[in-house]
Amino acid sequence: MDFSVVVEYFPRLLSGAWVSLQLVFLSVVLGGAFALPIALARISPVAWIRAIPFTYIFFFRGTPLLVQIFLVYYGASQFDAVRESIFWPILKEPFWCAIIAFTLNTSAYTAEIFRGAIQAIPEGEVEACKVVGMSKAQMYRRVLLPRAFGIVLPAYGNEIILMLKGSALASTITILDLTGMARTIIARTYTPIEIFLAAGGIYLAISIVVIALFRQIELRQNRYLGTLSIKVPDKG
Amino acid sequence: MSKTPALELINIHKTFGDVEVLKGISMKAYDGDVISILGSSGSGKSTFLRCINLLENPTQGEILFNGNKLDLIQGESDLVANNMKQLTQMRQQIGFVFQSFNLWPHMTILQNVMEGPLNVLKRPKQEVLEYAEHLLHKVGIAEKKHMYPNQLSGGQQQRVAIARTLAMDPQVILFDEPTSALDPELVGEVLGVMRNLAEEGRTMLIVTHEMNFAREVSSEVVFLHKGVVEEKGTPDQVFGSPKSERCKAFLSSTF
Repeated sequence: MDFSVVVEYFPRLLSGAWVSLQLVFLSVVLGGAFALPIALARISPVAWIRAIPFTYIFFFRGTPLLVQIFLVYYGASQFDAVRESIFWPILKEPFWCAIIAFTLNTSAYTAEIFRGAIQAIPEGEVEACKVVGMSKAQMYRRVLLPRAFGIVLPAYGNEIILMLKGSALASTITILDLTGMARTIIARTYTPIEIFLAAGGIYLAISIVVIALFRQIELRQNRYLGTLSIKVPDKG
Repeated sequence: MSKTPALELINIHKTFGDVEVLKGISMKAYDGDVISILGSSGSGKSTFLRCINLLENPTQGEILFNGNKLDLIQGESDLVANNMKQLTQMRQQIGFVFQSFNLWPHMTILQNVMEGPLNVLKRPKQEVLEYAEHLLHKVGIAEKKHMYPNQLSGGQQQRVAIARTLAMDPQVILFDEPTSALDPELVGEVLGVMRNLAEEGRTMLIVTHEMNFAREVSSEVVFLHKGVVEEKGTPDQVFGSPKSERCKAFLSSTF
């Protein structure tokens, strides 16, 4: 094994990692923004409002991310209407196709995480809001969302790490992310073990940063609980 | 005593599935009344209390607050509020103290007490802060105002919950077994706070198992059994010479 290739190509790998980070960051931010309304619709008392996010989540959780990427990248360009629309400058770029597929995918998972967190808030805390005469909007703004944010953190950190690893699929539609860059280098140097080990190491390093970051936020956010775990109040 | 009751409940029924928990309960509370509601578990006393401000929706009945009838319409299986604004306004004036305190754990003690008047009633912050500190002092917990609920004992949490209720300046306060979730040695501190409120002339409806307390502070005692009012009267009547056999049996088993 010859690790000098790793040293030589390390800057290229880092530029690939930078693309991966952009993919993950953009799709997690956009996906998170979409996830909240989806989660709120998901727990609506009205049946047909619930049905829409249910179908959406069912589709994006039930099909492989790779299929979703291909559908956006190869599928959209099949339609003249799409090619002639104002969205074509975006949809013809593999980078943005990946962002769209990742965003839709992660928003479905994140919506389920949000929904679970909102429903995990003890009913008594909601009743305490009702008896002081809060409106629904006040209830969400003052109690439900801040509480859900604390509950959501461990699962949400997990989703971001899954997204980081899922982002490797962007390499299948010509994007030179960390994996794509590694494959390009290997095609030139024939050193798969060295370069993939290096790429894996970089993924690990990013994961460690994400984990540490979330642990800090969790400690800060849930300091009122005394521990990292969610304590279930005594119902008596 | 004013002519119009502060709170009047007429013929309240509540059914869960096939089980009729409340079979037509009526009650009037005038300003200054302290009404204790007694009964064995399953008698429907907590359900009745929760029907008053629609934490449970009654299946039948009328709720009047200061003579104003709460607008209810038939929902799928029970009566629901037809006018959310009227309901929230009524709730703002009726305090409710829970058995399990239900403080908001992500807020400090002080924030819990300030939340209602500040963000629901939109009162000025400085005024709310001073009043909240006064109330925390009154329930004997001022020095813990920057702590979180989970750092407090049950009795302390319940006293904070009472202060949170008082901060809204409610006309009527409903207490749903406020000491039942507490360790025996912590019951006294909460009852002490409630006793002071009764002496101030506050209007209170109290579901409780604390017989001695009920006897001392109540202006009226109501005994529920299987969803109906089995016996009611002054504490001396109900505790001294109950007419109902069931009430007698209940009292003899609890003393």
